[in-house]
Amino acid sequence: MDPRPEPNVSRRQFLRDGARAAALTGLGGLVGVMASRSSAKGTVWQIDPQKCVRCGNCATACVLEQSAVKCVHAYAICGYCQLCTGYFEPEPNDLNTGAENCLCPTSAIKRTYVEDPYYEYSIEEALCIGCAKCVEGCNRFGNGSLFLQVRHDRCVNCNECAISKVCAGDAFRRVPADHPYLLKTTTHGE
Amino acid sequence: MGNRKQTITRRQFIKASAQDAGILVVGGIVAASSGSLARAASSGKDANPFAYDVGRLRKTDPKLIQYEQAGQFRSPYPEPHRIAAGPDDRLYIAAGNYVSVVDREGARVNELALPGPARCVAVAGDGTVYAGVRDHIEVFDRKGQRVAAWESLGKKSWLSGLAVSDKDVFAADAGNRVILRYDRSGKLVGRIGEKNKDRNSPGLVVPSPYLDVKLARDGLLRVNNPGRHRIEAYTFDGDLEFFWGKPSAAIEGFCGCCNPVGLALLPDGRYVTCEKGLPRVKIYSKEGAFECVVAGTESFSENWQKCSPSDCTTGGLDAAVDSSGRVYILDVVESNVRIMARKKESPAASGTRAGAQG
Repeated sequence: MDPRPEPNVSRRQFLRDGARAAALTGLGGLVGVMASRSSAKGTVWQIDPQKCVRCGNCATACVLEQSAVKCVHAYAICGYCQLCTGYFEPEPNDLNTGAENCLCPTSAIKRTYVEDPYYEYSIEEALCIGCAKCVEGCNRFGNGSLFLQVRHDRCVNCNECAISKVCAGDAFRRVPADHPYLLKTTTHGE
Repeated sequence: MGNRKQTITRRQFIKASAQDAGILVVGGIVAASSGSLARAASSGKDANPFAYDVGRLRKTDPKLIQYEQAGQFRSPYPEPHRIAAGPDDRLYIAAGNYVSVVDREGARVNELALPGPARCVAVAGDGTVYAGVRDHIEVFDRKGQRVAAWESLGKKSWLSGLAVSDKDVFAADAGNRVILRYDRSGKLVGRIGEKNKDRNSPGLVVPSPYLDVKLARDGLLRVNNPGRHRIEAYTFDGDLEFFWGKPSAAIEGFCGCCNPVGLALLPDGRYVTCEKGLPRVKIYSKEGAFECVVAGTESFSENWQKCSPSDCTTGGLDAAVDSSGRVYILDVVESNVRIMARKKESPAASGTRAGAQG
């Protein structure tokens, strides 16, 4: 009977190679993370309104107690509608400010009469939780003048934004800090 | 204790280096993609507690649908806006930079070239075609020869509907919220629909660029007033005679902020209305009572999707009616025309009208 063949790799070699592989994997991960974070220099988080799918995660995933994401209003795009679908429930009992008719869960939208039949809608940011319910209503039927933005008087600019990790529309991206908002604009007069 | 010198061949060195580089790359990829994986894992995790739910309204009660599809054809050009039926029962489709003339089955008969995107079209009894681009009207004779281009209405204008009588042409200018009355030579002779107490006119409310005008057999104009969710009847001089319609997401009303976006008239004077947001086509009596549905929201899945993600200013439907009462629905998103015929077993087809609601 032939003697048992010598193993190709000794135990010592195996342990040494394993340790080296683990160390290099960790180093690679560190390099990957650092590479992604290094692009954050001089930038802040923002939501691309064209990609936002109104998933509701902005209201719940932010590290702040009240989200840094707020609804903002592009007045130049707004139709000043009497029946604002961002303000009223899809099937309101009546077109008045009764809570049962209103869409916003925190009553953050104020409705002000302008002249028949026009009304102005403004966002009280202290109440807005960034749930995007009004944004969906406005987009579904109207001109899309309501949309979400990260407000930089509140945002703490985490290296890894907690909302961006769960954003269903992949709408979060970094933008230059000197141009921190991605606003909707009107095409009137083109 | 003697030193043990370890030697390594060039081949071994290259092999070991390649292995290490591979491991390094894999580690980097894993770390970089961890965010995407977390997003993918969490995006479908929970139902949105703040969902704006209109899913229920996408389904139409089948008993209310009294038309069935008898055919369908593609719009000759993409980005259609309006469809009109001519006196010869040919269809005129404003799409791309053309008004395309097709027969009732969609076969192309002629096409009229325009200097910009065609927004609207109407055909006179003598076959003269009036085509609206954004800021002015172009005129073609019955053979399709361009005979005139009327004066521009300026940068703010947005023509979106046309109607023609024996002596007048009516242009719906959504940008200026007015119906302009021209004589057939192109001279502006009146403005209809502007706020005017003396004429009982509260003003047209047009949040998005959908204003339409049609001429009824009773000699009055019918104009959609989308911001007020109603149809209004005007004399040629601009007196508001009557109106009907109410806002409601329910089937008997006009949904959203601003509907209807298009209208047509059946040979007996009843109305065909088109909506966006919840894209649907319905029939109303001459008095404005809801009668039935031609095609419900569930029939227009792409059109429904169009009002997402950014706004609802480019979706919508339009309709035309031929002399036999068939309804042609122009889907501006899918760029096609559906030919809708009354179901044979429907009450109205056998002489009785469907039960009106609302």
